[in-house]
Amino acid sequence: MSAPAFEVRGLSVRLGASDVLHGIDLDIPAGRWTCIVGPNGAGKTTLLKSIARLLPHRGNVRFMGREQPAWPQRELARSLAWLGQNETGAEDLLARDVVMLGRLPHQPWLGAASAADRTAVDAAMHQTQCWGWRDRALGSLSGGERQRVLLARALAVQAPVLLMDEALANLDPPHQADWLQIVRRHVAGGGTVVSVLHELGMALHADDMVILAGGKLAHQGACADAATHRALVDVFDGRIAVHSLAGQWVALPQVERDAA
Amino acid sequence: MARSCHPGLDPGSIDRRTPGCRVKPGMTSFVRRFVWLVMALAAQAHAITVTDDRGVVVTLAQPPQRIVTLMPSLAEMVCELGACGRLVGVDDYANWPEQVRRLPHVGGLEDARIETILALKPDVVLIPVSSRALARLEGLGLKVVALEPKTLADVQRVLLQLGELLAIPQAKAVWQRIDDGVEAAARSLPPALRGTRVYFEVSSGPYAASESSFLGEMLARVGAGNVVPGSLGPFPKLNPEFVVRADPEVIMLSDRNLQQLRQRPGWDRIRAVREQRICAFTPEQGDVMVRPGPRMAQAAQLMVQCLQGKLPGRAP
Amino acid sequence: MSAVAMRQPAPLGLLLLAITAGLCLAGVAVGSLGWEPLWGGAGDASAAILWEIRLPRTLGAWLAGALLGLAGAVAQGLFRNPLADPYLLGSATGAAFGVAVLLVLIGVSPVAASGWGARIGLTGAGFLGAVLAVLVTLGLARGVQQTLRLLLAGVVVGMVFGAFSALVMFWAPEIMRAMQAFLLGTTGFLGWGSVALLAAVFALALLVAIACSRPLDALSLGETTAASLGIALAPVRTVLVGVMALATGAAVAQVGLIAFIGLVAPHLVRAAVKPTHAWLLPLSALAGGVLLLASDVLARWLLAPQELPVGVLTAVLGGGYLLWLMHRRPL
Repeated sequence: MSAPAFEVRGLSVRLGASDVLHGIDLDIPAGRWTCIVGPNGAGKTTLLKSIARLLPHRGNVRFMGREQPAWPQRELARSLAWLGQNETGAEDLLARDVVMLGRLPHQPWLGAASAADRTAVDAAMHQTQCWGWRDRALGSLSGGERQRVLLARALAVQAPVLLMDEALANLDPPHQADWLQIVRRHVAGGGTVVSVLHELGMALHADDMVILAGGKLAHQGACADAATHRALVDVFDGRIAVHSLAGQWVALPQVERDAA
Repeated sequence: MARSCHPGLDPGSIDRRTPGCRVKPGMTSFVRRFVWLVMALAAQAHAITVTDDRGVVVTLAQPPQRIVTLMPSLAEMVCELGACGRLVGVDDYANWPEQVRRLPHVGGLEDARIETILALKPDVVLIPVSSRALARLEGLGLKVVALEPKTLADVQRVLLQLGELLAIPQAKAVWQRIDDGVEAAARSLPPALRGTRVYFEVSSGPYAASESSFLGEMLARVGAGNVVPGSLGPFPKLNPEFVVRADPEVIMLSDRNLQQLRQRPGWDRIRAVREQRICAFTPEQGDVMVRPGPRMAQAAQLMVQCLQGKLPGRAP
Repeated sequence: MSAVAMRQPAPLGLLLLAITAGLCLAGVAVGSLGWEPLWGGAGDASAAILWEIRLPRTLGAWLAGALLGLAGAVAQGLFRNPLADPYLLGSATGAAFGVAVLLVLIGVSPVAASGWGARIGLTGAGFLGAVLAVLVTLGLARGVQQTLRLLLAGVVVGMVFGAFSALVMFWAPEIMRAMQAFLLGTTGFLGWGSVALLAAVFALALLVAIACSRPLDALSLGETTAASLGIALAPVRTVLVGVMALATGAAVAQVGLIAFIGLVAPHLVRAAVKPTHAWLLPLSALAGGVLLLASDVLARWLLAPQELPVGVLTAVLGGGYLLWLMHRRPL
């Protein structure tokens, strides 16, 4: 197995008056899709932001074997693409201009967009199937359409590592399936994907799962592992059950039967 | 009845004092009432009635001895009429004559201090029509006379009204003296300088004094011309180009605006600037010129001195 | 929701340039008697009036408007707020405070007025006041680390300096007329020196702002995403704050406090096209210049030889057009 993409040691993050993450030790493997799950408020987004170097944190995070000071900003931006949650703004930019922003880490400061940039933008927009509204302003799109444009923006970076927070927000089932395919293709091509998802059914399609609870690491393991399933059920207080169905793992809510 | 009895005495106590004096019982109360009426009529002869600028008739039982003024020109007029000793309070900007500065100051046009005015217990408050304190002071029971001299004709009218209000018969003579002073200043202007075209700048903007303002009227009175016609209102905000086109021969302005006058684009071709005929008035001189009041003669003199190029003080 | 056919930014730019040219001609033709083109006029006097008074005034009005429009677009991009205007960092009231202080000092001692007071001039005092206010804002916000804190500090500083100006006017009420003239705005005293200064500041501000246009675009996606794309947020914010301070300080010092242009010009552009900042910034500058120049020409024309305060007309023109746009097409 190759070197891990992220080596996290003693990660603690303080937001406001309280500690959100308490001394996390974690290795996220490269070339695989890892999904971070956990109850609300477990610190999933905080963890993702910290390893993306987007939040001040205590502790050590090595990316691709290199410490933080060894990563120049633009090189880091070319290696790591981020898709955040609930991103508002850019209402007045055209969709294709938004996707073109993903090419920023590759563009010189004052240069115009190159042919490579345009190819990358086209490819990304076709992948997420938002090419049809490339000339529409972001503010005029529906939630799902907008999310696909933002996803295309992240893909346009063509970074080996993709970090995505709640990437399926507002996406309807066909496009959730599309997203799954994009992720699988990226990993198959040698890339790494780390995603935070609250849709457990989707999360169970990943290669590995990191389970957080109360700011601490509860479990890390392969999604196909029974131990991982048990840990998942535990962290959700037994309110779910994991079943196998049509070759996929699904998580179904445990509804209490009324005592008849 | 041979002897007259003292009126008003109780009939029951008369007979010991004036023997032989007998008063009919109903007669005393009639006499009493009659005397009271006579006294009232006599008092009424001293009462003062004046119609102020709002058209309101204000009546005072006797000439006011404690006066508060809320406009500098009103304080100046009161002092000019010789009643300076009767002033108990003036506004913040009154500064002439010297003794007025030591009086309590009660605020300006917008911010008259009502409590201070009340505490001074004035017999009358002289206040401009546009003051915000007018209604309040009247509502508090003070006698308020609204006078606001704005034009040349106003000065005479208000001066005479004040003369009536303060029961000063020499008011007419005072006015005559002022008017003669202005006339003398006007006559002292050499004929060659008559009709000199003047531009009077009141503040940077530029705001000018037109023919229809008090300053414009004074200029006309001393025989000078004004490049700003009265149809534009008393203090119009002009396009600077207008002044350059009008090419005045003399410029009058406050000394604080003098410096930036020279830097205005295109103004160096104005005759007044080229020939250095710019009169920069100090704040004291400005007060004399701007207030329609008893120092009109002095204002006229300053203007004539300026036109002759003999203005004392800072050289342009 | 129909897909709106987007016009290209380039034709809009050409249109604005054409309008600017037309307005410049009008500006040179409008004088103290209203419409009076002096081109065919006889004599040295006409040429002098055209050259020394009307032309610099027209160009200066356009440049001041362009500076305000540019600063407005930068402010809206930096603070990610469509209601932001370039006066948000307190530069407007800072300039007013500087002017008030100098007016009082001139009144207190006219000797000083002819010395260093003349060298600085009211425009210099205004500029210094504006820069001082922005520095205080930066100090209060402890640097440019957080945009929200910068915004709040700017609002506070703006109010405090406004209160100081009012206090100065209370103590020295004789400056009130001059302050009012400054606050309402006028292009009446712009000469070639002012035009040269405004042009230099405009060239610098435009170049620097356009160089930051990609970071501004990235910022519109949110600060986290912008950081993930490799944008160095703190240096970019510092440079942009500097551009805003310089542009608004220069414009306010020369023509006074003209409201609305910085707020409205970017919206006028965005109502027509949806450009990235590389186009939005110069187009906002053009739109701002057109707006102020049109207001200035009207201010001189409507009541000639009297002049209306320019600030009144910018509010009427800019606000009116924005209202009409909102009515025709929901934003």
